[in-house]
Amino acid sequence: MRVPEPSVGARAIRDRLASVGTSPVTMALVLSFLLCAVIILVTGVNPLSAYAEMWRGASSGSGPRTVIDRAVPIIGMALAISIPFRTGIVNLGAEGQMIVGGLAAALTAIHLPGPGAFVIGVSFLAASAAGAAWALLPAIGQTALQLPILISSLLLNAPARALTSYLVKYYFGDPTATSTTTVAVPEATRIPTLGWLSGASATAVPVLALVVAIALFNGRTAPGYQSLVSGINLRFSRYGGVAVARQTIVSMGVGGSIAGMVGAHLVLGQSGRFVDGDLAGSGFAWTGLLVCLIAANRAVPILVAGSFFAALQVGGLAMQRSAGVSWQLAQVLQAIVILTLAMRVVPGMRRRGSSEPTPNLEADVIGQIAPGAADVVKV
Amino acid sequence: MTARPLELELRGITKRYPRVVANDGVSLRVRRGEIHAIVGENGAGKSTLMSILYGLVAPDDGEILVRGESVRFRSAHDAMEAGLGMVHQSFKLFPSMTVAENVVYGHEPRTGWLIDRAAATRATGELASRYGLGVDPSARIEDLRVGVLQRVEILKALYRDARVLILDEPTAVLTPQERDGLFEVLRSLRADGRTIVFITHKLNEVMALSDRVTVLLRGRVVHDVVTVDTSPAELSLAMTGRAIDPSRRRPEHETGATLLEVDDLCVDDADGVRRVDGVRFSVCEGEIVGIAGVTGSGQSELVEAIVGLRASTSGAISLRGRDLAHANVHGRREAGIAYVPEDRHRVGSAGRASTRENLLMGYQWKRRFQRLGWLRRRAVADHAAELIESYDIKVSGPDQRVAELSGGNLQKVVVARELAHDSPLLVAEQPTRGVDVAAIEFIHGQVIAHRDAGRGILLVSAELTEVLALSTRILVMFEGRIVAELDPHRTDEVEIGLYMTGAKEHERAGA
Repeated sequence: MRVPEPSVGARAIRDRLASVGTSPVTMALVLSFLLCAVIILVTGVNPLSAYAEMWRGASSGSGPRTVIDRAVPIIGMALAISIPFRTGIVNLGAEGQMIVGGLAAALTAIHLPGPGAFVIGVSFLAASAAGAAWALLPAIGQTALQLPILISSLLLNAPARALTSYLVKYYFGDPTATSTTTVAVPEATRIPTLGWLSGASATAVPVLALVVAIALFNGRTAPGYQSLVSGINLRFSRYGGVAVARQTIVSMGVGGSIAGMVGAHLVLGQSGRFVDGDLAGSGFAWTGLLVCLIAANRAVPILVAGSFFAALQVGGLAMQRSAGVSWQLAQVLQAIVILTLAMRVVPGMRRRGSSEPTPNLEADVIGQIAPGAADVVKV
Repeated sequence: MTARPLELELRGITKRYPRVVANDGVSLRVRRGEIHAIVGENGAGKSTLMSILYGLVAPDDGEILVRGESVRFRSAHDAMEAGLGMVHQSFKLFPSMTVAENVVYGHEPRTGWLIDRAAATRATGELASRYGLGVDPSARIEDLRVGVLQRVEILKALYRDARVLILDEPTAVLTPQERDGLFEVLRSLRADGRTIVFITHKLNEVMALSDRVTVLLRGRVVHDVVTVDTSPAELSLAMTGRAIDPSRRRPEHETGATLLEVDDLCVDDADGVRRVDGVRFSVCEGEIVGIAGVTGSGQSELVEAIVGLRASTSGAISLRGRDLAHANVHGRREAGIAYVPEDRHRVGSAGRASTRENLLMGYQWKRRFQRLGWLRRRAVADHAAELIESYDIKVSGPDQRVAELSGGNLQKVVVARELAHDSPLLVAEQPTRGVDVAAIEFIHGQVIAHRDAGRGILLVSAELTEVLALSTRILVMFEGRIVAELDPHRTDEVEIGLYMTGAKEHERAGA
């Protein structure tokens, strides 16, 4: 019997699955769990039972719901950061974009009358516009005034925090509350939860759709191609006729808009109100940045890595409750995962004589952050 | 001559890579005080051999002997200790430091804890004058021309008392005068009893300079002769395994309508320095206009202004009568300009992208390759396969990253991509820099075929033989101006070289 020749796509998927077991990522994960086990051992706890608690915490009871609710903003922020990142623009202002988006959504939801679904939709649009506008400031600064986005976007986080804080304190505050916060958004404008998703927020569905959309955009479209090439070598894409300034504006705008909508999700789906300092304190922007780095800007790996980090954090909390291991250990584990992944670039750690070019995460990442940084001193 | 002792000997050096045997039992005997040329096409294994000699790559098999003793290099440091010095194609110097500081780097003369700068300058100056290397030890690297930088690299090796000097394609970046100067230096080093290993593609240099030649083909030594006993034709046959006629055919041709018109163009750089100064010329259909000039004479800025990568300060550029003042790079490509850039690594390709992705650049919005922004993956794949096939680009497949390709193959990727646009005007900058004889032959053939198809070509090259062989007209640039317009039939390298260096200047006989 003839086995039908698998299609190119099917073959690629099969090869990819076959290589998972020996992939550097798997190795890094195994190594980091081993390293962390040593640390747990030092604190006087059996690492196996600690890991078991971790797994139980993330997989049973309210675990899956918490993991998904944590994964949604992490993945969202990672996607938001990945879009400019992929074109070679380091947007460190996702946090500020998320915060202004959150406030825009809260104010819309509180003040706009109408049916819940309609108000939610408009709130997300407002958040998207606010986040995009905040991201366009550094983008225009770079294209018009040669202000590096890396710096200006980072610096704009503080004004975003301060401005929203000021607005809430003096104009939109809840007078009955002791903290700086808006009033709660109407119940009808809260994002529903989904029973079939262990009761997690419904935003998980559009986030999944966004992962697919961005993956398709990156891999299948002409602008997605241009963005890839720009991220690798901006001079090459300029040489090839890519309108680099426009690409900078658009990718920053889209990234900011996604970050703004993550803010909307956190207000309408989680806290139910805009609490000053809450969004900045959540750390989602920075976890998202790490996830984006590890996934090398690719959408599907962002989904995987984001979910993994969310599970790690939730499991870490459970580990603290049941095994008495500090939950900071989950963060240590997270850091070790990142370090072991980065370690692959150390010469000699690579498989020698491999016919495949070793995927080089760090060089990719460095290339993204500072094109040309890898060049030797040359005249 | 045969009585001279062996300075360096390789026995059966073999290096295998996953897809290719780079060196296959290479044996080589280099005698003391000899200039030994190693020639071969790209991918013939020269670079691998040099990396092995310099301790950068460990051979799988074989033995290296220096002055009769078997050695094993674990790093470049070991090679230096054994008296080997390397002058690379791309220089490894600190731009903001002086010549002397670069030369003594790593072996600084000291007084106590401090570097003795005076001693460094003195030692560098003495070495330079001893071998006729006219270099000012206190000059800053960033202020020096490429030809001088190479001399600094040679000084670095001499300062470490290299007995064997290995030069990798040393003349690629030099003017004819600089090249002759380098040869003088190498001869004086030879007279001093030093040994020189000289890697090149250029057979005229082999004939002019070397005592002995070793030819590599596909990783093996296929020819090893005393230079006076051989000829360029014999060597080229050995290098390629087939005969190449070095005298170029240049059939008569018809020139058609004017394509490119550059009128009184001035270009200033970011610091306000005038790089292109009142340049005026045109390129017609069926014509190859060659621009010769020392690197940094304004050719790059001129080309960038034409293709839209750099704003011009004043003057006009038009293509087929259409003013390009307000067209960006994309608009100019659409209007009919294809461009092979000088720097294939930094401008002409994206190293970590695949061959297919590199071949797509400039085509991504063409109707054949996309619909409503969605790439037609079948068309993209066919396009890549077609160009890889017809230009004989040696890749493992269209997914191979171009950073892994040899220089000649990467250049073929760039040339294939730009020629396949079939644009009315091709701007080709150093189209054959650092590629092997067969690839040069091929690229030249393609450029000529392009011209014969009625396309216009603006050729910028530091390679005078190339400019002479291909051009219909030659323009020479010096300090941002066109100082001569010459007929390739009635000029030679010497005359062009004089114009290039400003030694000779005359009014143009009208454009």
